[in-house]
Amino acid sequence: MRYALQRIGQLLVVFVVVTFAVLVAMRLGAGGHRELARRMLGGNVTDQQVDEAVRRYHLDSNYLVQYLYWLKGFVTFDLGYSSANSMSVAKLLAPRFWTTALLGIYAIAVGLLLAVPAAVIQAHRRDSWIDRLGNVASFIGFGVPAIVLGIFLQLAFSLHWHLFPAIGDSIYPWQQFGAHVRNFLLPTLTLAIPQAAIYTRLLRADMVATLQRDFVVLASAKGMPTRRILWRHALRNSLLSIVTSVGTSLGGLLGGAVVVETLFDLDGIGSQMVISVLSRDLFTVQACVAFVVFIVVVVNLVVDLSYSLIDPRVRMARALA
Amino acid sequence: MTRPRPLQTAGRPAEGPLIELTDVRTHFATERGLVRAVDGVTLTIQRGRAVGLVGESGSGKTVLSRSIMGLLPRRGVVRSGSIRFEGTELIDAPRSTLRSLWGREMAMVFQDPMTSLNPLMRVGEQIAEPLRIHLGQSRAEARDTTIRLLTEVRIPSPAERLRQYPYELSGGMRQRVMIAIALACGPTALLADEPTTALDVTVQAQILALLSEERRERNMTLVLVTHDLGVVARHTDEVAVMYGGKVVERAPTAALFRRTRMPYTEALMRSIPTVDDPPHTRLAAIPGRPPDLVEPPPGCRFAARCAYARERCHAEEPSLVASSDDPDHHYACWYPVGTVEPVALRPADPAAVG
Amino acid sequence: MTVLRRLRRAGGWFAATWLVALVGLAVTAPWLPFVRAADEKVRVGGKLQSRYRLGPGRHALFGVDNSGFDIFARCIHYARNSLLVGVSATVIGLLVGGALGVAAGYFRGWVDRIVSVVIDCILSIPALVLAIVLVSRLDDIRQELPGLGWVTRRWQVVAALSLLAVAPLARIVRAQTLALREREFVLAARSLGATSRRVIATEILPNLVPTMVTVASTGLGLLIAAEGTLAFLGVGLGESWGYLIEANRRRLDKAWWATVFPCLMLFVTVMAFNLLGDRLSRRFDVREVIT
Repeated sequence: MRYALQRIGQLLVVFVVVTFAVLVAMRLGAGGHRELARRMLGGNVTDQQVDEAVRRYHLDSNYLVQYLYWLKGFVTFDLGYSSANSMSVAKLLAPRFWTTALLGIYAIAVGLLLAVPAAVIQAHRRDSWIDRLGNVASFIGFGVPAIVLGIFLQLAFSLHWHLFPAIGDSIYPWQQFGAHVRNFLLPTLTLAIPQAAIYTRLLRADMVATLQRDFVVLASAKGMPTRRILWRHALRNSLLSIVTSVGTSLGGLLGGAVVVETLFDLDGIGSQMVISVLSRDLFTVQACVAFVVFIVVVVNLVVDLSYSLIDPRVRMARALA
Repeated sequence: MTRPRPLQTAGRPAEGPLIELTDVRTHFATERGLVRAVDGVTLTIQRGRAVGLVGESGSGKTVLSRSIMGLLPRRGVVRSGSIRFEGTELIDAPRSTLRSLWGREMAMVFQDPMTSLNPLMRVGEQIAEPLRIHLGQSRAEARDTTIRLLTEVRIPSPAERLRQYPYELSGGMRQRVMIAIALACGPTALLADEPTTALDVTVQAQILALLSEERRERNMTLVLVTHDLGVVARHTDEVAVMYGGKVVERAPTAALFRRTRMPYTEALMRSIPTVDDPPHTRLAAIPGRPPDLVEPPPGCRFAARCAYARERCHAEEPSLVASSDDPDHHYACWYPVGTVEPVALRPADPAAVG
Repeated sequence: MTVLRRLRRAGGWFAATWLVALVGLAVTAPWLPFVRAADEKVRVGGKLQSRYRLGPGRHALFGVDNSGFDIFARCIHYARNSLLVGVSATVIGLLVGGALGVAAGYFRGWVDRIVSVVIDCILSIPALVLAIVLVSRLDDIRQELPGLGWVTRRWQVVAALSLLAVAPLARIVRAQTLALREREFVLAARSLGATSRRVIATEILPNLVPTMVTVASTGLGLLIAAEGTLAFLGVGLGESWGYLIEANRRRLDKAWWATVFPCLMLFVTVMAFNLLGDRLSRRFDVREVIT
């Protein structure tokens, strides 16, 4: 419990420092607070509207005060006003959140589905041709830029084989399931392949080490079937590295989502952020960044706390601490 | 209390050879060359006996026990010779044959109970696993058997232990769990590889006593790998002393201690402290180092460190022969203990001179 | 074993050859007779070849784009931006990240605490998100603050990418310095009364070089990919492979060459740096993986 609180504290510091820095970066260099308000509201605004914005977002105070009011807004989903869309940022982002969340979850799931069997087989048949093939595949998957991978997938699956639409549409599973799958499949693959490569690399290395440990030899000496040794004894002990790799590669995944949503024309947080950056929609950009950082921080916390679910020794050590 | 007698031991012949080794060689391919860890061992292990494999570290005793099990790395191992277990050839047997023997017919207890149990699996499940898979026991049956096994290896409040993880147990307790795992399916042979080296001295005696007792009650064959002649003296019927990948002396335990023939065995015995020694007696360490197993010396492998070595010992390798006065006592030595006077040692490391 | 080793060596040679050729072509492009100028339109028999009229072939190696520009010529000219931006950001990353990492690892205490928090914060923002926001904000700030007229988009991209390079480098260098600090030879030097500056310069830095070079090599690949991605998103440079991809990708069905060749340039270049990093990490036995 104490460990959990300590970890939450650390991550809270990161979140606060980052979001404060983002706020300052967004509002820096505007001349005066009325000028800033004008910019944040965008377009033609009356003096009265400017006055109201200054009052509402405390733009005439220092950054720290502005930040505290922003933070209060963030917690209550009052994320400001989108100048480019003339609507509240919360309303703008709410539907887009689902696109990005679904993409991310699918990508992690597909990535694990590809990576775990590959890593287990590779570690089991170490230095065989299948292991080498897997290593080459994950080397390429790790290095290929998301744009390139996405374009190649579009080329193969939609232009050559006419299987899936190249340009997607954010249809949700609860709207039309079949269309949802068709539209999300290529974006998911584009995101999942690099993830799978990272997971495979880490898990394979961990499994190779685990398979040499005494308790795995003992499981052999007990006459356990290979499958059981691999999946029940060895994989369970390498689970920590899977969870860790999902956590540490989340930043890359979210960065990839920006590219993939743009490339496949999906309306997500990532593509919205790019649009807002280009249209100087300050409130929206700030909300998108804060949101993304929030996700990273929360997932890392979950990853950390899940260690103790996986390894009873960690649970014990923390109970004593 | 009455102890459970596993079904498997019923109907087995009580005597006769169980494990027959003929010219067994296990070599490892390394960057330096082929390491001849076990280099031509011929040995017969009788049913129901306790056999000690003794030697310094690097003598090949552990590799020999793993060779019998077939628990060797998949790659980089060159094996030859013959290992027969109840008549079945094991050297080039497919993995499936070995797996059908492991746990059921042959079981092994490892040296380090700290690393040999799966840290993320409850103790109960680790013991129940072979019961469920090999004997097809139901969950409830396996649980009952596990509790009986834990009682048998003298673990207090066994029902509570089932739900514990290995890190919650002491080293001695873990080794008892390992023994329970090994005994679970009532194996014909139990190979114990330095089962007490990693434990406290007081616990060592208990674990060894437990192993001996189980062996007697189950009429099980025990192969006890150890560097400790004291352990061998108390817990085995026969001893094979190994040096440089070979068996250099083999005899019934009593005979070996009564009349040691091989100078290496004698040197090993002198390195054990006894209660009768006056205080501050200097223990006789064996000078020099074990031989290079990549390029073993031509003659007797112990010659460089032997106090009795003559010219012949450095040139010609002695083979393992039966003693003229005791057909059960074999040794590989040109000048057995008592036939010649000790001489000054030649430099242990020829490279240092030449 | 030997097959694998030969394959790996072949990969290393391929990477080195590609990079040398690319740098050579990019630098000498203006004087090469077979490379058109980036803004020269392709004409065959006096007729302008616009609207993707020419595919890859004799007149234009990689085909032409909608306005009739030569894709091959643009790929070669634009390589200069990718390489320049990537290398500058890596050099800055090595200098700043190395300095921060050594300071944090060697002096520990509050220096370490501050550096660590800063690294954690930077790494908690997805790299690409950070780069997008930074470049676009620098656009505005440059216009608003006086005296920054000399700053171009290219420098903004370099600045943003440097920040991406600094954090992981600082983290790895810090960890290594912490370990080196306790090694015998460093302890020996310190106990003999060597000054901190001397210990760092003579004992610590030389031992950091292999790791830094290895990480920088793979990092260079990642940074070039990031440069392409920024351009693709419209936040980076206009004269970039990424921009070519963005400009032509909606005509993938009609003129695949205009998108695919820039993609291949980006892909092969990034992979070449990764291969180089892989070779170096095996050579120096560096295990850290940057993700």
